[in-house]
Amino acid sequence: MEEAEKELERRSKFLNSLIQKKKKGIEQHEHESFKVHVRACDMPLPLQNRALQCARLHLESMPPGNKLDNKRLALALKKEFDSSYGPAWHCIVGTSFGSYVTHSVGGFLYFSIDKVYILLFKTAVEPLDH
Amino acid sequence: MSEEAKKNFVGALTARPTSDDQKQAPALNVPPKKVIIKSADMIPDMQKEAVDIAVAAFERYNVEKDVAEQIKKEFDKRHGPTWHCIVGRNFAQYSQLAPAQYYKVGCDVDIQGSYVTHETNHFVYFYLDQKAVLLFKSG
Repeated sequence: MEEAEKELERRSKFLNSLIQKKKKGIEQHEHESFKVHVRACDMPLPLQNRALQCARLHLESMPPGNKLDNKRLALALKKEFDSSYGPAWHCIVGTSFGSYVTHSVGGFLYFSIDKVYILLFKTAVEPLDH
Repeated sequence: MSEEAKKNFVGALTARPTSDDQKQAPALNVPPKKVIIKSADMIPDMQKEAVDIAVAAFERYNVEKDVAEQIKKEFDKRHGPTWHCIVGRNFAQYSQLAPAQYYKVGCDVDIQGSYVTHETNHFVYFYLDQKAVLLFKSG
């Protein structure tokens, strides 16, 4: 009877150990895969965090090994910022590009996540002439 | 003696055409820059203007950012603010690493992720050889 209890306890500890190791492995992998680096910025911190989080979530939702869909990520970011912080936002995603733009005050962020670079900036919107 | 003379003569003849061909080769290998308008919402005159400015900028600058700067500033000056310009290209090394299916036929530039809001009639996206240029007005 006592021997049976000891065996169960030993197995339980072993399983817990396996689970813990797996969790650590996953966390480490995620951290390595989605390293974020803000390279240029003129944007309040909350908006920065919003952009980084949105990009990270998008990358995490991709099946592992699949190529990132740049256009979809750009679309997601632009729409989120248009709806949350007013028009008009513009987003460019790619691995190799240079740019020169004029942006609104507090509406510019250029960062890299994994191997892709993301440019997000805001411009003023003038009312249409009627 | 006579046979040796003949051989030398033949050798001389064969040498000449080769040198001529070599001289002509460089001229034939300098084609004009290839321009492909991939997407445009812009009057034709303005499109041509954008291409001409881009060609001049590429001849003058090597860095994409400088090319983009030149194009944007020129359009801000000529057609009023506010224009935005993104210039991109694909490195050969990256091209080799990337799966072929990722690219459209004839499109080797990784700037397909651009998604912008632009004013009506003020948007052009074209390729100049291996480089893409995105120019639009907003704000």
